[in-house]
This record gives sequence, structure tokens and C-alpha cells, in this order.
Amino acid sequence: MNIKHILLPLCLALVSGCATKSLEQGAPVTQSQTISAATKPQEIVIDGVAGFQDTPMQPDGKWHVHDPARPQPPIVTPGTFSENATPPSDAIVLFDGTDLSQWVDKKNGGPVQWTVENGVAVSAKGDIQTTNQFGDIQLHLEFREPTPPQESGQGRGNSGVFFMGQYEIQVLDCYSNKTYADGATAGIYGQHPPLANACRPPGEWQTYDIIFNVPHFEATGELLSPGYVTVFHNGIVAQNHQAIRGATNWRVPGKYTPHGPTGPLALQYHNNSVSFRNIWVRPVPALNEP
Amino acid sequence: MKILFPVIALAAVFSIHSSTFAEDATNGVEKIDGFTDTPMEADGKWHVHDPNRPQPQVVTPGATFSQGASAPSDAEILFDGTGLAKWENNHGGDATWKTNGDYVETAPMGGGIRTRGKWADFQLHVEWATPNPPRGWSQGRGNSGILINNMYEVQVLDSYQAKTYADGQAGAIYGQSPPLVNTSKPPGEWQTYDIIFESPRWNEQGELIKKAIITVLHNGVVVQNRYELDGMTDGINSALPWKSLSKYPAPHTPEVFIELQDHKNPVRFRNIWIRSLHLGENL
Repeated sequence: MNIKHILLPLCLALVSGCATKSLEQGAPVTQSQTISAATKPQEIVIDGVAGFQDTPMQPDGKWHVHDPARPQPPIVTPGTFSENATPPSDAIVLFDGTDLSQWVDKKNGGPVQWTVENGVAVSAKGDIQTTNQFGDIQLHLEFREPTPPQESGQGRGNSGVFFMGQYEIQVLDCYSNKTYADGATAGIYGQHPPLANACRPPGEWQTYDIIFNVPHFEATGELLSPGYVTVFHNGIVAQNHQAIRGATNWRVPGKYTPHGPTGPLALQYHNNSVSFRNIWVRPVPALNEP
Repeated sequence: MKILFPVIALAAVFSIHSSTFAEDATNGVEKIDGFTDTPMEADGKWHVHDPNRPQPQVVTPGATFSQGASAPSDAEILFDGTGLAKWENNHGGDATWKTNGDYVETAPMGGGIRTRGKWADFQLHVEWATPNPPRGWSQGRGNSGILINNMYEVQVLDSYQAKTYADGQAGAIYGQSPPLVNTSKPPGEWQTYDIIFESPRWNEQGELIKKAIITVLHNGVVVQNRYELDGMTDGINSALPWKSLSKYPAPHTPEVFIELQDHKNPVRFRNIWIRSLHLGENL
């Protein structure tokens, strides 16, 4: 059964542009998800927040995936923090404004279709991923949302940072723009809202400083330990060693599929032109000593 | 693993001749001070303040990270150069460290200063600089510390091209956890700590149910990655003598104060702010 044949027409019918999120992960689909996907998603609006309640419940049993009733993260106005941070000596610089030579198109492995101009990379036409594979890393990245802002909710400045190509920290313009909490900027998409909404206005550069630790699997494929993520968004702790529940996806809770110890870093094209600059990573072990 | 075997071999050799110094494995000449007559750490591999514990790899930090970071809207500014109203000395009286422009300097032998306020789980930004030109060596070189509740210490030290036992370096949880890397800046330069701290928790029976947990970015480089503390730091208050094994104190409230240590060396601090994390369901 090819789930794409069911999802594609549904996705095309939605303005939210879910296609890239839903289709490219290739995650296994459970029976219950198949049923919910076969029913037309019912977007609802609660207190000005668009989302879903026809989605599965999160494991905590309190909220649906993308639940518009889930509390909005408190708004914190950030100060300055790590803008233009220069990379430490052991960092691998993935983009310094010159070119995207360390990246390829995620879908076909070919040249990236993003543009690089004036030291800035702008998302276009498809997701990109690094040619390098990474395990436990610290990532610094800066992004800028398009101004003037267009559309609303998930349609405003949507992109994403995917660790190992499948665990997404959301990139979105949530400045004066509400969306379901688990889809807000610096959220673990569809799973865990940020502790705070630290968004800057569109047009201003914003920073992510992220510590990511990979999930581990038994030889039998069982999950030994989940992935973890700590996120500073504009210097504000938005995720504090938060356990990841599996690959992030539209309208489904996270689900793990066993994989190796490393994977590429990916950046999403989600129908919006989002700018990136100053991207570097460095290895950071989960433990202090081997 | 590669580095471990020669270090263990060295440890075996030098334990015969000396209990307080180890050759530096990187050049075989410079001595590293420390102790091997101290208790073993919980991991069973190293003594407390063991000179043979591997020296963290040196990583040159980027020129800039969060230096001069302005406080977020929900932060409490603890020190911005305009006085020490948020601080007291460690007897409860007014803090008397001297401020100069945007910084405050330890008053050697004058005792530490601590915040009047308390926070449970928090994010702390603090900048510090050790004396230039440097004076002293090992633990006598620009020594101070961020003493959370005067119990849990993030070491402040001049570890730039200066060696000391690994669990006592800049960025270490003193006596427990060496920094993942040594990313110190030269003496006199401003260095940043961005710290996430989760307070320990006890149940009503007085049993520890959650350890203190800390993440530290030193000059923008992760040096502690959600390290779970074994307990109090040795030697910073009378409850746990220096060189003894960490253990947890009697239960205390999650709300804790921040103390800046006076360790007899003039060390400067600036731009200190803190914000509560409200971890709630994420505790």
C-alpha cells in the first residue's frame, strides 16, 4: 500500500503545505494513523489558533497532535545573544556565506536549488541536507523570516532544522503569529512546544544554539534511549534536554525507526523563502569521558 | 580510549614516586598537581582531584558568542554595573566588592557575595575575566566560582595554557566533572558562562528523587551536557570538607541562591542575569 497515493491529494488540497512534511519521511504508518489519514483532516480554530483535534493523542494523554487548545508558550522578548558567533576551532563550518558546497538536494542528492546571495542562503524548491553525517552535535545556526510577513499559522515563514534528516526543530515566524503550540518556533514539531516564544520580528536575524544527542537502538531494533535536544532560541532556553519521541511528522506523534549512529543535518523548504547564515556544528559527546 | 591507556600507564608509574603530581601526557614535562590519596569518584576510575585524569582537549572558542548579551524581558538583572543591590555578603550584610564601570571584582579575603533572591530551575548568564598578567599556577591562578546555593560549584579559573587537575579546571563541576573541552580564553579577556540548572528534589520522606542537573556553555562551547551531580562540591562550605567525595546535603528547597566565590584571587564579573525556567511538566 502506498500511503502517498492517499495523502497526496489531501495535502494538495490544504493551504498549509504539508506535502514535504508528510511525504518525505517515509516513516511506517500504523493502522490508526492510516484511518485518520484516510479521513479528511478537520482543521479547527480555538482562540485564534488553527490546529487539529482529529489527530492522535500525545503519549501524555492530554493533548492531540497539533492541538490548538494546548497552551501557547509564554512570550519572552529576547536580548542580543550569539548573533554572528564565530565558530570554535573544532567546528565544521557548514555555511559561512560563500556557498552551499557541503549540501545537496535532500530528495535526489543533486545540487541544491537554494540561492546564495550576499552571504545569505535562501530556501527554495526543496529540502537540503549535508553531505557529512553527524552524531551528537552542537549546532549554531541563524535564520531570518521574510518581511513583510505573509499568510498565518504554519504558512508564515515555515522551515525546519532536521537532525539526522528526521528529527525537526521547527523554524517559523511566530512573532505576532499564533499556531498550534507543538508547531511553534523552536518546538520539536508535533511533539513538544518550546518553553517560551522568543521570536524576533520578521526581517531580523535569529539564532539557534542546539545540543542534539542521538537516539540509541538495541541490535534487535528496540529503542535503548531516545534522542535529546536542548535549544537556545535567541539565547532563551526553549528546550531543555527534551526527549524526542521519534521522527517528527505532520499529524502523527513521533515514532522511531531504528537507524545508525549518524545522519545528515537537513534544512527544510516549506513553500516559504527563509534565509540562513552562519551555520556550524561541532561534536559534543553525551558523556564527559568515554 | 586511545588516550586512556598511556595515561593509566603513567598513573601506574608515578603512583610509586608521587601522590600529588603527574606528568602531563601531552608533553611529558609539565607537572599537573592534584591528589591520589583522595576517595575514588563514583565511576571508580579516578580519585577526587586526580592529576592523572585526562586533560580536556583544548578548543579555541570563537572570538564572540554571548559576550555583552542583553537580558531577555523575563530575566532578572543581577548585575549590570550599577551597584550590588541584588547581592549581600555571605553573612547577610551588604556586599562590599568594588565595582568599576561595568564590572565587579572579588575582594580577596573579603568573602563571597550571594544573591538576595532565589530561583528553582533557571538559566544564568555570567561573564568573568581572570587577572592579566596572570599570577600563580594551578588552583592559585584566577580562582573563583559560581557557587549555586553555596553547594554546587561551576569552577572559574584561569585554565588558558595553565594546567590543573581535570575536575578543577574552568568549566568543571568542581571535584566531579571535568569540562568536555578546555575552551578558555586568555587572562584578562571576558569569558561567558551560559548555564542551565535544575535543582535537586527530595520527597517528603527526605529521599532524593531528582539530582541536581547542569548544562554549561563556556564561551559558547558545551562543556557540561546535562551533567547529573553526585552531590555537593567539596571544600566550599563546612558541610563537605575539601578533597572528600561528593554527597547530597540535607534536603533543601528547590529555590537556591547564586554565590560568587572569593578564592583569594582578584577575578572580575560583569553582565549577570538569570531567568526562571518554569519546567513544569518537564521536570
